[in-house]
Amino acid sequence: MKFDIERCGYCGACISVCPTGSLELTENRIIIENKTCDDCGRCSIICPLGAFFVEVEKNLSKL
Amino acid sequence: MKYDVIVVGGRIGGSVSSLFASKNDVDVLMIEKNPEIGVPLQCAEATSELTFKTLGIQPSKRYICSKIYGVEVHSPDGTHFKMQPSGDEMGYILDRKVFDKSLAVESAKAGTDIMIWTTVKDLIIKNGKVKGVVAKHLDETMEIKADMVIAADGVGSNISRMAGINTLYGVKDVGSCVQYKMVGIDADPNYMQLYFGREVAPGGYAWIFPNEDGVTNVGIGIRDSNETAYHYLNKFISNFNGMPFEMNVGGVPLSGPVEKTYTDGLIVVGDAAGHVDPLTGGGIHLATSCAKIAGEVAAEAIKNEDTSAEFLKRYEEEWKNKIGSIIKNSLKYRKVLDKLNDKELNALARFLKGRDLDSITSTSLLGLVKESPSLVRHLKNVL
Repeated sequence: MKFDIERCGYCGACISVCPTGSLELTENRIIIENKTCDDCGRCSIICPLGAFFVEVEKNLSKL
Repeated sequence: MKYDVIVVGGRIGGSVSSLFASKNDVDVLMIEKNPEIGVPLQCAEATSELTFKTLGIQPSKRYICSKIYGVEVHSPDGTHFKMQPSGDEMGYILDRKVFDKSLAVESAKAGTDIMIWTTVKDLIIKNGKVKGVVAKHLDETMEIKADMVIAADGVGSNISRMAGINTLYGVKDVGSCVQYKMVGIDADPNYMQLYFGREVAPGGYAWIFPNEDGVTNVGIGIRDSNETAYHYLNKFISNFNGMPFEMNVGGVPLSGPVEKTYTDGLIVVGDAAGHVDPLTGGGIHLATSCAKIAGEVAAEAIKNEDTSAEFLKRYEEEWKNKIGSIIKNSLKYRKVLDKLNDKELNALARFLKGRDLDSITSTSLLGLVKESPSLVRHLKNVL
């Protein structure tokens, strides 16, 4: 996933739907662990502000 | 450092559980990750007087923004009608930044130690039992031991996951919410306005909650949509001539409680436990009720020197007894509402307009069968 920190409201909604535990809400900052993230895209659906984007190139390569 | 109980999270679930644990003479530490309790706001701030009855306190003018007598529901075609609760139960719009702080202060007065701007990085787990936390404040990392931990760290609770409790939600189970605080919206100060429809708020609703000083909370909660809640909120407020001066964001668990709210040395409360009404998304009263039970059960466990899952099971039994049926029924209604298209919502609104819910008879329902047979089919399980 691509994460745009400038669109992030630090609410943590994304964490509640992340099946790989790749997201962490620290002192007002979301950290994304790209090594474990499997690009499922759930965070991009739940984020109220649209801070997550599925990386198009990565997903195309999966097809 | 060693405490009897560590509470992770300093909002309503955290402050109320720590308050009732401290009142029962146990050593409690409450850890809040933000530098200020109650900030940032992640709530539409509506609750009922049951919250105050549960707490055993009178609501204070310091945090009551308005008194609410009922809701006005707006369907997609603009049909609208007012509803009042069946009892004489008063509703309130709170100032959560002040309310949350006042609860934390009460808890501290009862003896709770509070650490702010501190993040829990890990749990200390020994022989499968939670025995404390690893916390970080600024650049200092510390181990704090405890006989048990209460997880009040919000939706998707990381703390519960660390203890092996599954708090993962599906995308349709969490409301994606954004809210503006606005001036210039002309709203009845004593009614909450709710707006439904696929174009307005897919899978949820938009709200206007009034304060008496001319400020309104204007927000939206949606589920499983291609567009963001932010997109829908901006579209919604373009219908009004108001000015936002604050924005709040958050996720709300809407599928009921997590599968288990206790384990060895840990119990889960509030949004972390899914203690939210699945129909309204309201969680203040439910979190308060469960957190009070959590604090009391934690104190009992400490006094009995038994913080095992076997002992803490009574927490889940007690909250299920208290609020289990509310959540279950609301989930049933929510699932019906999910099935209604805009046409059916309009038919339902026209049917309910001017009707007292208690006065609905089989004869009056016959009219609805004629107008929208599909709606009656959807409603048959809840009528």
